[in-house]
Amino acid sequence: MRLSDIMSAANLSAYAEVAMILFIAAFVAIVIATFAPGRQRTYDAASRMPLDDEHPQTPR
Amino acid sequence: MNARLDSFSYDDEIVRKFLWATMIWGLVGFLIGLIIAIQLPLPGFNAAPYLTFGRLRPLHTNAVIFAFAGNAFFCGAYYSTQRLLKARMWSDALSKVHFWGWQAIIVAAAITLPLGFTQSKEYAELEWPIDIAIAVVWVAFAVNYFVTLTKRRERHIYVAIWFYIASIITVALLHIFNNLSVPAGAFKSYSIYAGVQDAFMQWWYGHNAVAFFLTTPFLGLMYYFMPKAADRPVFSYKLSILHFWSLVFLYIWAGPHHLHYTALPDWASTLGMLFSVMLWMPSWGGMVNGLLTLRGAWHKVTEDPILKFFVVAVTAYGMSTFEGPMLSIKSVNALAHYTDWIIAHVHTGALGWNGFLTFGMVYWLAPRLFQTEIFSKKLMEWHFWLATFGILLYVVAIYSAGATQGLMWRAFDETGRLQYPDFVETVMRLMPMYWVRVMGGTLYITGMLVGIYNLYRTWASRPATYEVPVVQAAPLNPAYTDPHAPATGGLWARFTDMGWHRRWEGMPLFFSVMTAIAVIVASLFEIVPTFLIKSNVPTIASIKPYTPLELAGRNIYQREGCFNCHSQMIRPLMYETERYGDYSKPGESVYEHPFLWGSRRIGPDLARLGGKYPDLWHVRHMYNPREVVQKSIMPAYPHLQTAVIDFAAIQKSVDAMAMIGVPYGDAVNTAPELARAQAAQVAASVEAAGGPKGLADKEIVALTAYLQRLGRDLKNATAGGAR
Repeated sequence: MRLSDIMSAANLSAYAEVAMILFIAAFVAIVIATFAPGRQRTYDAASRMPLDDEHPQTPR
Repeated sequence: MNARLDSFSYDDEIVRKFLWATMIWGLVGFLIGLIIAIQLPLPGFNAAPYLTFGRLRPLHTNAVIFAFAGNAFFCGAYYSTQRLLKARMWSDALSKVHFWGWQAIIVAAAITLPLGFTQSKEYAELEWPIDIAIAVVWVAFAVNYFVTLTKRRERHIYVAIWFYIASIITVALLHIFNNLSVPAGAFKSYSIYAGVQDAFMQWWYGHNAVAFFLTTPFLGLMYYFMPKAADRPVFSYKLSILHFWSLVFLYIWAGPHHLHYTALPDWASTLGMLFSVMLWMPSWGGMVNGLLTLRGAWHKVTEDPILKFFVVAVTAYGMSTFEGPMLSIKSVNALAHYTDWIIAHVHTGALGWNGFLTFGMVYWLAPRLFQTEIFSKKLMEWHFWLATFGILLYVVAIYSAGATQGLMWRAFDETGRLQYPDFVETVMRLMPMYWVRVMGGTLYITGMLVGIYNLYRTWASRPATYEVPVVQAAPLNPAYTDPHAPATGGLWARFTDMGWHRRWEGMPLFFSVMTAIAVIVASLFEIVPTFLIKSNVPTIASIKPYTPLELAGRNIYQREGCFNCHSQMIRPLMYETERYGDYSKPGESVYEHPFLWGSRRIGPDLARLGGKYPDLWHVRHMYNPREVVQKSIMPAYPHLQTAVIDFAAIQKSVDAMAMIGVPYGDAVNTAPELARAQAAQVAASVEAAGGPKGLADKEIVALTAYLQRLGRDLKNATAGGAR
């Protein structure tokens, strides 16, 4: 019996859907978190980072 | 606040080195592209065995991707990373190892590919010793990069660096897994995967090489250098974060769209299509983000050639990422696959997005790195316009070539027969467009020459010694706590408060591991089933391994790069089965290490070639294709009639194949004898038909034996009724 026989018999295909759902959930979490209110100030500071080569923009 | 300030300077020497490497290798890569563009309408331009289309085309793609775009990424990454982190690269020595190691690999590629040493997997052609060198150099780069991250003096890691990190990790993974192979000599190896699995692995690699070598690194560059050149921050930082995570989550799944209607299982192909279509959103979000960075600065675009380059680059990114998802839709792909349409698509991306972003970046960097004014703004304008018209000529011609040939292949006449049964007729029609491509390429290269001259003159007026400015910044305080008041209340409030996300971003290692997990898990779920679930690759009893002589012939087929122009994969579409015969089955390629399905039909498909013509036809055809097919554009291979088969090496090939599970039986001990016996038979049949004498130990006999075997096993199965 080879590994592929065992795997074929194990009916694993449902796990692909589980993974898909986890992935979508993780992604949605990131989207919500990114657009959550109250972050604008942090983003504004971060977006200015490329413009100054000498003075740090974010807290030490 | 921490009062102690560190004094340090940035390493710009390494950036200058990468800048020159980018421009010089870029020129080389473009010139090779021009040569192969001329070889198509003018087969006589295949000057020597080392310089045929099949051997130079991989050199062109490798040079442009890994030498031009690769060095451009490194150039911009070393410049921007140090400044975004407020830290010098951790080790100058490792930076140098990275630079010289990478250039040595490019030189090795430029030597070995024309010599015919190839794994024959697109963009992964380089043989195993060079693959190991690439891994070593990449690790040196990664170590240097990650240690620098830990020594940074900015707490937040800017989004450009996220793109760089994802690229570094993913490219390492792709490179290692796609290149796993068993060596059969110093410069020959066989992929451990076969057929469907190898194809899947290859296009998982191939597509993500586009994603993580040509897209994410350049997006990182865009998010740094566009704000710099426009002197204003990126339009929306939120959008750039979203852009990043969507690409990481989606891109890795898209590979199977390169294998629509092939022997790949349908579910995988559909999955690849869906994820490709979803990529529309982040790609366009990113493009809009780039273009809107110029809000309020549009008047500058008319005066500043650097911004012009960036605007065209971002527009080209938008166009090719609009087209990519469209091409991944199966019904569109049925028309476009195997045609020049794909070549046009790739060149919109490479010439427009990668090329123009690089040129804009290089012109922005040059005065700063060489600490002088740019020599001529007028020449920058010339470069811009020459290259822009070059791209237009190139893509318009090649899009029409693709659509024309695709439509001709599928045309039926009113009696239900193929309207263009002679393949060469569909090739003839492309010749005017191929010449327009040559013109377009020439313009683009002229622009490049103007650019290099301009850079050279700028460099020539540099100061005697470069000034090295000292930067001061405080180190990160290990006792730092987030001043943001911790959210109180339920889980939801704490989640949306984002304290956790700020902590993650602060931990580059953790961040990298999370990115890697997203990429690895996706890859496993997509690829593993074809390896382990049997129903994905139904076996066919009559499919047997190649004989030792046929295997030697297959080695020659690989060496000459025949797969660059000939597919061996007939799709289950009416006009393909009419033209070539029964469609290709997954079980047919179980011994194909590596798979040779091909991706472009400059010549016809060969999957059912065996037995179609007599042996002598192949001998004459390889000697001079135009002797038998008057309008053929295939290079001539007269040297195959004089080159002697390396019979001793056949044993090594058979042994390597046996090691990865190909049932070779007796041949494991007697490969050279078996090969000699079969070669004598083929040579006798050629001679009996009135062909040249004394071919029994010549390479042409091995190649003929291989070509005559293609598709035979399946025919035997149908004839004998055994399945």
